[in-house]
Amino acid sequence: MTGLSRSFEGVLIDTDVLVIGGGAGGLLAALSAKRHGPPGTRVTLVDSWLIGRTGHTAFSNAWQIFALPDDDLDGILQEIVSGNDGIADQVLVREVLANSHARLKDFEAIGMTFGREEDGSYKRRPTRGLNLARVMYPEGGGLEFAWALRRALEAEGVQLIDRLFVTGLLGGGSGRVAGAVGIHSRTGEFHAIKARATIVATNAITFRSGFVRDITGTGTLLAYRAGATLRNAEFSYVRPGTPKFYFEGITFAIQEGARWINAKGEPFMRDYEPDWGDEADVPRIARAMAIENEKGNVPLYLDMSAIPEPLREYFIQSKVKWMDNFFRKLGNEARTDMFGKTPYYALNQMTKMAIGTGPDCRSDLPGLLAAGLAQAGCANHFAGFHIGLCVGNGWIAGRSAIADLDALPPPRLDAAEVRALHDEVTRPVDESANAESDVILRDLQAIMFAYDVGILKRADRLEQARAAVDELAEKCNALAAPHTHELVRLKETEAMLLAARFILGASLYRTESRLSHFREDYEARDDANWLVWVDIMERGGRPHFAKTPIPTPLCSATLVTRRPTRAISGQAHVAGV
Amino acid sequence: MIETIEIEKCTGCGVCDLVCPADVIHMEPAPVAPEVPGLTQTRMLPVIKFREHCITCFSCEIFCPEQIVDVHPSVKNRPRPW
Repeated sequence: MTGLSRSFEGVLIDTDVLVIGGGAGGLLAALSAKRHGPPGTRVTLVDSWLIGRTGHTAFSNAWQIFALPDDDLDGILQEIVSGNDGIADQVLVREVLANSHARLKDFEAIGMTFGREEDGSYKRRPTRGLNLARVMYPEGGGLEFAWALRRALEAEGVQLIDRLFVTGLLGGGSGRVAGAVGIHSRTGEFHAIKARATIVATNAITFRSGFVRDITGTGTLLAYRAGATLRNAEFSYVRPGTPKFYFEGITFAIQEGARWINAKGEPFMRDYEPDWGDEADVPRIARAMAIENEKGNVPLYLDMSAIPEPLREYFIQSKVKWMDNFFRKLGNEARTDMFGKTPYYALNQMTKMAIGTGPDCRSDLPGLLAAGLAQAGCANHFAGFHIGLCVGNGWIAGRSAIADLDALPPPRLDAAEVRALHDEVTRPVDESANAESDVILRDLQAIMFAYDVGILKRADRLEQARAAVDELAEKCNALAAPHTHELVRLKETEAMLLAARFILGASLYRTESRLSHFREDYEARDDANWLVWVDIMERGGRPHFAKTPIPTPLCSATLVTRRPTRAISGQAHVAGV
Repeated sequence: MIETIEIEKCTGCGVCDLVCPADVIHMEPAPVAPEVPGLTQTRMLPVIKFREHCITCFSCEIFCPEQIVDVHPSVKNRPRPW
């Protein structure tokens, strides 16, 4: 069959638990569902590309915060909540931390190896912005981590479907989510998947800017269209970076003595973060960089002159296979550039917008759950609590999905709805069209990544940006796709445009400054009025913004963590390199 | 960004296509000299179909069993905030 045909034909799959997205959240959700379900439970995991070889996790170090039995669990919870400026689901975060040791044992049981010291204890490192938490990584980094999980899922009988790009969630007209539809991302063949529970684990919208630009996070927007609530759109993961190359060792470089300097050679972080200085978490560094830019103090550099040469080499000897290849090919001059001569910028990586759920990862919609960064557990994630949270909420989502199987009415498919979703995805197909979604994307990036929109916000500029995004959306609606490759990109661009509207709308709505959300016209943090989630839901065909108070059953949400002297220096943990 | 695949050394295993997370490389039939005169013969070989969408993840280079894929480390088209 031809995938680009408009005729209504395709594949129908029936399963118990459908997991959408093959990163850490999706892999763990599938594993958890299979292990919590009674024998014979059908679990299906789909991803746009090859499961285990795509997504943020696969291209990361797979650093994770693990809380070991002797760790101060509540202390780590408090510092993560404080580091999130209170925007965190405390119950969820605590359970993720409490379960992390069991997950570590699961990983070792499926063949992963975590480094150990000579005395047999695990090799652990501190991470930026946190004092008590410690991170660990599996040998081989994210590629080996994700592949080991893929192999485990295969061994346990999970159905893996690679190259399925999901384009809509099924409702069946029953007030619940009943599965999803999508197209094969190469052939365009239409698929409908009927499921008793559906877990969205499609990461976050990145606008193709981050270091893994295949992540497009479309699942959260599909959940919105199906009736779910989104939250944390006003927050983003912004961090220092350079457009010239990727360097994923900034956290550790700073622990070893690197510091941010401006064009005058002045260290500037203590001016903005008196307690944390250069060890502040990345959104705070990004804000300082943006203000330095406004003062005319750019270019900005990461000065590594205080770090001995052998230790600099350690940053190059990455745990990530692709970075090994990357640095091997860089010339000596480029390497020298990296250590102090290359201008750095505050670069936006992804929105923190995700699906609002309870601590059990259930959304407001029966049959729909969320995991990974598609679940709004925190507004910020520290190095190691990106994947750490995904592992934890994936496990919880899989368990909740199984618990729901018999509690919910059986899903049913509405033929007219399936047909309509089919027609919607094939509508833009026109073999004579030009592929032009990249033009829209570049314009959208220019709007959303301008420092005075994405980092330093003000009402008038946000309004202007929103009007510009609306214009782009109209242009995008007129585009067609000559082939499946472009059809997928066009659908992703549509999702990014919708996400941009939500990000700008939520940024206007929250009239205070908090975490990565800095309003020039509302500079102060306002706990009296804004210790809330800004929830976004569809009302009458339009997005509606509302406040939801954040429960604080376990610890203070208003405490600001001061930085004590580090008990463990980073250097001690790279001894021997 | 992906630069080249040394096609003359390629076995046509298709791993580069399989592991690409950006749909850049497609295995496509390429004509070869037929073993049976009169028949059209092809073999599957990789084509860099959407080079501009390469995300410089190095997967094709890492997993190619023949080590014949070359990815250049420079990153292109990354938006700047100022």
